[in-house]
Amino acid sequence: MELDYLATVLLSSLASASILLIATIGLAVVFGLMGVINLAHGEFLMIGAYAALTTTKLGIPYILSIPVAVLITMAIGAVVEILVIRRLYGRIFDTMLATWGISMAFLQLAVLIFGTVTPGIGMPQYNFQIGDYSLAGYPILMIGVAALMMAFVYFLMTKTVYGMKARASIQEPEMARAIGIQSARVNTMTFAIGCGLAGFAGAVLLPIVPATPSMGSVFVIKAFLTVVVAGPVTLTGSALAAIGLGGGASVTASFLTSVAGDAFFFLITATLLWLYPLGISAKWRWKM
Amino acid sequence: MNFSQKLYSSAGVVFPAFGTIAVLASSGLIDPYLAYVATSWIIFGLLGLSLDIVWGRGGLLSLGQTAFYGLGGYFGSVIAINMAPVTGNTLIWSLPAGAAFGALSAAALGYIIFYARMGSLQSTILSYTFTLLLLVLTQTFRLDVGDAVIGGDNGMSNIPGFVLGFGSAAEALTPNSAFATVVVIAAVLYFFTRWLMRSTFGRIVNCVRIDSQKTELLGYDVRKYQLLNFAYAGAIAGIAGAMFGAWSNYLNPSVFSVSEAISVPIFVLVGGLGTLAGPFLGALIIGGLSFWLGGGSVGGQTTLILGLILVLLVMYLQNGMLGGLTLVWKKFLPDSNEAARLAGAVQIDTDVLEGILKDAADHAGPAKDVSSTNLFKQFGGVIPVNKISRHFTTGRPYSIIGPNGAGKSSFLKTCVGIYKPEGGKVQLGDEDITRSQIFDRVKKGLGVKNQKPQVYGELTVLENLWVAAFSRTRNDADALVICNKILGMLGFEKQSGVEASALSHGQQQWLDIGMVLCLAPRVVFLDEPAAGMTNEETRELSLLVRTLAKHTTVVVVEHDMEFVRTLEGHVTVLHQGKVFAEGDIQTVRANERVLDIYLGRREHV
Repeated sequence: MELDYLATVLLSSLASASILLIATIGLAVVFGLMGVINLAHGEFLMIGAYAALTTTKLGIPYILSIPVAVLITMAIGAVVEILVIRRLYGRIFDTMLATWGISMAFLQLAVLIFGTVTPGIGMPQYNFQIGDYSLAGYPILMIGVAALMMAFVYFLMTKTVYGMKARASIQEPEMARAIGIQSARVNTMTFAIGCGLAGFAGAVLLPIVPATPSMGSVFVIKAFLTVVVAGPVTLTGSALAAIGLGGGASVTASFLTSVAGDAFFFLITATLLWLYPLGISAKWRWKM
Repeated sequence: MNFSQKLYSSAGVVFPAFGTIAVLASSGLIDPYLAYVATSWIIFGLLGLSLDIVWGRGGLLSLGQTAFYGLGGYFGSVIAINMAPVTGNTLIWSLPAGAAFGALSAAALGYIIFYARMGSLQSTILSYTFTLLLLVLTQTFRLDVGDAVIGGDNGMSNIPGFVLGFGSAAEALTPNSAFATVVVIAAVLYFFTRWLMRSTFGRIVNCVRIDSQKTELLGYDVRKYQLLNFAYAGAIAGIAGAMFGAWSNYLNPSVFSVSEAISVPIFVLVGGLGTLAGPFLGALIIGGLSFWLGGGSVGGQTTLILGLILVLLVMYLQNGMLGGLTLVWKKFLPDSNEAARLAGAVQIDTDVLEGILKDAADHAGPAKDVSSTNLFKQFGGVIPVNKISRHFTTGRPYSIIGPNGAGKSSFLKTCVGIYKPEGGKVQLGDEDITRSQIFDRVKKGLGVKNQKPQVYGELTVLENLWVAAFSRTRNDADALVICNKILGMLGFEKQSGVEASALSHGQQQWLDIGMVLCLAPRVVFLDEPAAGMTNEETRELSLLVRTLAKHTTVVVVEHDMEFVRTLEGHVTVLHQGKVFAEGDIQTVRANERVLDIYLGRREHV
């Protein structure tokens, strides 16, 4: 029975780590490929959630509402990139503050449009048992979704022309321009993809995290710390940081209190930043 | 100087003084409710000032100012609750306690940030994490300290208000008098901060922001200055927090919230980063805006408007209101940098130089030898410094030459401490300095000029030299004497008031060399000093280096072979991180193997 309990805790902690990772990947992609910290990432997640919610209310099946959410967030992301981010390249703190401003504006717009309370959609009901313990199936499914997202981004970055161009632009920006890569266009695409991933996360997490205007800020802080702790290696670094921080916090929370879980998260973040000032992956040879 | 120029240079005193007087004069007349709300704007302005000190002056965007504000508020209020019954007066307890606790917590966080030499992004994130950690922890933190009850997310109530009188009969001030009191405290702190930032301490903090590495190469322990500056700002935030507690009579964990944390940079950005007075203006504008738009509290459309203001500010008005005004005003003033164009070619008077160097020797002692033993530095698979053992002494200059990528600059940087070696030893005189911090090596007599001229662009020529000279003398008057000698030697007397960024590349090189001379170094490392200089300037430089070598140990890394020839010194050729050949320039020039590696031919490539 103790073993069952341990397995339950581990599985649900892995699920929370995966949820964190799902919410983080878009941010990591934008940070890794553009050097931009998008503090409005959480609001894109929120937009994705509302897009999916509104589409399902129109009678379209939930599964089809996810691509709709992705397209909408990508489009808004592209507009934000062209109007604001593009003018602030290379000024990391200015982009941070500007995206923080965007996040405040989006938050308030969502309050105006949707109000502060919205009904969620029911979680697809299937549970399974480990010994005496029953676990909700949907969060466990997120482990698979996180893995799929990682595989998708890996494929995008290594096997597509866009991915090659994006990686070239961040490694050698001048050389990339000299051989005819339009880095501005690549960056717009990268930012849109990052926002699209956030939209996907918002939509796919909708059954677990109901859409509220402030849902973004719940995620963005932890997602953002995960990315900074991870450092320059986008995928593997973020995955490791998400599992370590999110999983660790969740294990702590199951044995102690949820406050202890959050405290664990922030304390480990502070310690890791102290030990690895440039992120845990700063000295890795592996670059994906 | 005309009236406009005088006013411009004292604007930071005149306008805030007028503002304070005007506000004080009207404080008795305005509506009590407005006075009550406006008190909070002044408190937020003070909180903004603490960020401006750290960010605008120290160069670190800290998102931890609200943490020090909250901690100072809680601690100051706990003390005030317990001690106020004794004296009646509350502020003599809460303000010092808030300041002390704010400063201590900032010093603790600052120690981690600055002594670990964290990157700027990581520092910002760590300060933010610190605030978030407090937000989480204070939710459940319950503790009774005497009469004070800290009740987790229920907060702490019964915080006494502003009481100025003493004794048991003393009563809390009316909103209008409390407003006036807070204005006076804020004004005192503003003028003190302005004085501090213009003192020697503040000038060096400025230099650390502009170029941290250069400041360390001038012998300053930059970590110490950053830490002190951070702790001072923490004290200001703590005082603001203690006043906030007295103002609202209540504190809860929301002082550590995300929205509090971001409102501080907004105040600073609206008013003008680095202006010190700006944050107050910013807090007034933002506070006034939400007062008239949203009925006093942050609500309604305020968040939307604040968000858009932040985006527009970052994009179009980087310097905020005051910064923008300053730029416009400056256009109507005579150009102080005009003299830069009048500068003639530098001509070194060897007698003057000898005098300076003899003074330096009297002051700092005889020249020191410097040597490396099996020095080894590796970057991944590249080994730019592969077990180099050299000994340099005074008498004649040493040149290090070699093709691109030979490891010349890396060798120099490893000796200086910019790169940490993986193996081997560096000795200065009899001391092993392999593990010393950079500023420590400089204090022991190392003088370094890096490849590109490192001057503080926004400071004047005289100020640049002063920073270097002050590092050696630690005395303002003595430093100025040294500056004037060096100015005379370089022929920059007329340019002393010109901003260094207005100088040509060659002039900046000379200024940088002048700064190194101000330090009275016993060993001088020069990395490509002739880069960007005209032929005449190079000739003068050669004369300077030869004269310098008679009094100190001089090592020059150089590409310009003609320049190396005129130095008539010892030449070491590096190739792939190793000593390849050495001797005087004729020997090296006649060496076929050296020609091979330079021209990239035959077997030695």
